[in-house]
Amino acid sequence: MSADPARVPVPRTTGAESPAEVVAAVRRRAGPPAAWWGMVVLIASEATLFGAFIGTYYYLRFETPVWPPLGIPEPKVVVPLILIGCLALTAPPMLLAYRAAAAGRLRAARGYLVLALVVQAGYFAFEVHDFRDQLHTYGITRNAYSSIYYTLLGADHAHVLLGILFTAWLLAKLAGGLTTYRVNAAQAIAWYWVAVILLTFAVIGTLLSARV
Amino acid sequence: MSALSLRSLAVLQWFGLLAGAGAWAGQLVVGFGVTQAECGAAGSRFGIGNDVWQAALLGAGVLAILVAEAAAVTVFLRTRGTSYEEEPPVGRMRFFAIAAMAANLIFLMIVVLSGTASIANVTCRQA
Amino acid sequence: MAVVVPPRPAGAEYVERLERQWASRPGVLGWLTTTDHKRIGLLYFWTTLAFFGAGGVEALIMRTQLSTPNEHIVSPGTYDELFSMHGITMIFFFIIPMTTGAFGNYLIPLMIGARDMAFPRMNALSYWIFLASGLFIYTSLFMGMAPNAGWFDYVPLASRQFDPGRNIDFYCLGIIFNSIASTLTAGQFIVTIFKSRAPGMSLNRMPLFCFAFLAASLGLLFALPVLSANTIFLFLDRNIGTHFFDPARGGSPLLWQHLFWIFGHPEVYILIVPAFGIATSIIPAFTQRRLTAFPLVAIAELLVVFIGFGVWAHHMFATGMPTISMVFFAAATAMVVIPSTIQVFAWCMSMVTGSARFRTPLLFIAGFIFMFVTGGLTGIMFLAIPFDQQVTDTYFIIAHFHYIIFGAAVFPIFGGMYFWFPKVTGRMYFERPGQISFWIIFVGTNLLFFPMHIVGLLGMTRRVYTYPGGLGWTAFNFAETVGGFITLVGILLLFGNLVVSYFRAPRADQDPWHGPTLEWTTTSPPPEYNFAVVPTVTSPYPNWDDADRERDRAKLARGVLVLDEGHEQPAVTPVDGRFAEIVEMPNESPWPVVLAISLALVFTMLLIEKYVIAGLMGILCLITLLAWSWKEPQE
Repeated sequence: MSADPARVPVPRTTGAESPAEVVAAVRRRAGPPAAWWGMVVLIASEATLFGAFIGTYYYLRFETPVWPPLGIPEPKVVVPLILIGCLALTAPPMLLAYRAAAAGRLRAARGYLVLALVVQAGYFAFEVHDFRDQLHTYGITRNAYSSIYYTLLGADHAHVLLGILFTAWLLAKLAGGLTTYRVNAAQAIAWYWVAVILLTFAVIGTLLSARV
Repeated sequence: MSALSLRSLAVLQWFGLLAGAGAWAGQLVVGFGVTQAECGAAGSRFGIGNDVWQAALLGAGVLAILVAEAAAVTVFLRTRGTSYEEEPPVGRMRFFAIAAMAANLIFLMIVVLSGTASIANVTCRQA
Repeated sequence: MAVVVPPRPAGAEYVERLERQWASRPGVLGWLTTTDHKRIGLLYFWTTLAFFGAGGVEALIMRTQLSTPNEHIVSPGTYDELFSMHGITMIFFFIIPMTTGAFGNYLIPLMIGARDMAFPRMNALSYWIFLASGLFIYTSLFMGMAPNAGWFDYVPLASRQFDPGRNIDFYCLGIIFNSIASTLTAGQFIVTIFKSRAPGMSLNRMPLFCFAFLAASLGLLFALPVLSANTIFLFLDRNIGTHFFDPARGGSPLLWQHLFWIFGHPEVYILIVPAFGIATSIIPAFTQRRLTAFPLVAIAELLVVFIGFGVWAHHMFATGMPTISMVFFAAATAMVVIPSTIQVFAWCMSMVTGSARFRTPLLFIAGFIFMFVTGGLTGIMFLAIPFDQQVTDTYFIIAHFHYIIFGAAVFPIFGGMYFWFPKVTGRMYFERPGQISFWIIFVGTNLLFFPMHIVGLLGMTRRVYTYPGGLGWTAFNFAETVGGFITLVGILLLFGNLVVSYFRAPRADQDPWHGPTLEWTTTSPPPEYNFAVVPTVTSPYPNWDDADRERDRAKLARGVLVLDEGHEQPAVTPVDGRFAEIVEMPNESPWPVVLAISLALVFTMLLIEKYVIAGLMGILCLITLLAWSWKEPQE
């Protein structure tokens, strides 16, 4: 039933030399590359970290009758939701950038990446500004609520920053042409962003649940 | 019984392997969370008591695990005549079916034990 | 006169090309920049042995202190550092890196028919980070500020208020630093096991050793982040002034315990599951029969770790939580023993029905089964909440986990050292001293750990630096100390035997045991490229499939699937192992060492509260990563 490995026409992917060879090799291979699986594993690890933070949030909440504690304002709803909506909109361009790279359409790939990068960077700048503003209202050392609030939110922002660095790196790499390594990287990084966006939804949802 | 396609058999195999594990994990996390919410300083704020939650989780958990076990047994029966060492996909499916049949029984025991004990004990009394 | 030239073996020209492609850089620089999984495995091996020695010295000092009542060999403060460092060392710097880093790295690619791990440079990084984190934490010992609140470091004892020095900061940062290495290794193994198997090796044809390491790796992947979160909270509480664990401001000390044990319990299964994998490799070799109930043993290895994530609060039965919370963990604790029992049954059945030859490796496995069952029986007792509340924090617990850790992790490690010694070194070992070393260690460890059950039930608590006479504890403690030194003698004999064997014993051929798995199909030691052709695999016991090995010889003669156009290896689909692509692997690289040093600088700056410089060192790390990623594998 399964083919004799000696007879299966299998592409030499990383060894592909020209962009045309890369495109053909990527199309013929069976299933995602090791790089993508590596990213899945990284995401699993980071998601567990956030799971621990979110679990901590609820654990502390179940122990505290008044939440948020007196003197701390409830988290805002509108602005965070708009912001995360903007971030979510960068997922399609990241995925399209991968698709374009895999098909050999380098200029389209670079274009999608630039678009995504601008929105991602703008989101991050706004969030940093907002974070600092909030710290002036109440600091991280006020109580357990503030401790977990800023740690959870800060961790999320750190992962967004990492994603921005990934996007910028990918743009720089693709400026130099197409290799299978770069196509693999585009796939991995696109899925990193999908994961970070979903994680950010989970984080914002957790923080906003204080209003319930 | 009508013939099952290879694809359906594969779906049943993965469901049989993973659903029981997921059911136990869910019953543990939600069940434990309910007890913490109920007995923590903040107290239960939704009006549904611990026992109702635990009974619902017990029922849902047992049901899910039994369905998973049925799926695993189905794959096992449909792959009769193949050894678990043979070529994939059929050999692999038999392998995971055997594994799942044993695993689901273990998960069933844990869910039944913990579910009944969380109802039988006095709510929030310290251990 | 005509010179007769002997005919070259079939396929010799392909082998020569592979030798040239895969030749490693010579000298010290070659070792510093290596990405070869075998070299990295050896680096881990020697480094973990050094930490084993350190942990052993710590143990023997403690045992000497406790040999008689009211001793004053060490002060109470030093004793606190000793038991904390002993636990930290043995768990994070001996067992985990020895099983995963040494055995796993060396053997997994060989067992799955691959030429290297999926991410060779990242593999090297794991080692250098592990070494750096070990040096980081041991610096604390030499500066007299080692962690001193136990390996589980409970708050509020570990808070700034009660432990004001840098001891616990060393703990937090050292643990996080070390966990980066283990997380990278875990991810490496998972991707390698799924993607780098030989085509034809579907999951149902994968050796049980690989199932065990897959289970341990999945465990590490999901457990370590929880520990990291916990230690981040502690570091922030101690250094920034947050209130995660401070009840006065809404925090909870129990939060530390929950998060710690959500990591800590899976961790102890992670310690023993690779050893199960070693046992399931040794038993078939010395019984020459397939292991009983193969699919059940495979799933049992995964189930032990998976269910192990759901038992954590059995470490907290005495904390005053409600019974209805505790029953979830009591139930899971009761059932987690079943997968282990399935494995014990399969091992014993295999040994009884096969014609077992009790050479040294199998002796250690027999000892392992005895000690594991003993430790497992006391383990089940803890699920009874009232019983646990009596014995928790006594020597009864210490007895239990040392039977498990020494018996179920260290014994298989020793057995594995003997078993694979011929493969790694190309020499046999001397059998008689090997067997004697086993018996001395077996007697020593039982004398060391068994009396702890009794003295624990008599009321001796953990972590006491001395005790008064007249309690009935003295004779037992003295016996335990004697047992400890007997164990030391046995271990010295074991390693002495291996060292002498390395220089004096007869050469080993490629398959001295007629072992079941692929590592026995290649030379001793294996060449850099492991296999000249991609092996044909149709069962989990490939070395016993003579037809497949014959096909490999035919493939080599014709140059089929030699993959010598570069530094190449195959990649497959994750479940069914269908041939997917041929990938180029990277050669030596200096960046892993550089990155590990940069990370060490980050953690050192954090330790001495120079946070801005730590940030700059972090940027240095990013620049190193950039340099690393600039050279792609095919270049």
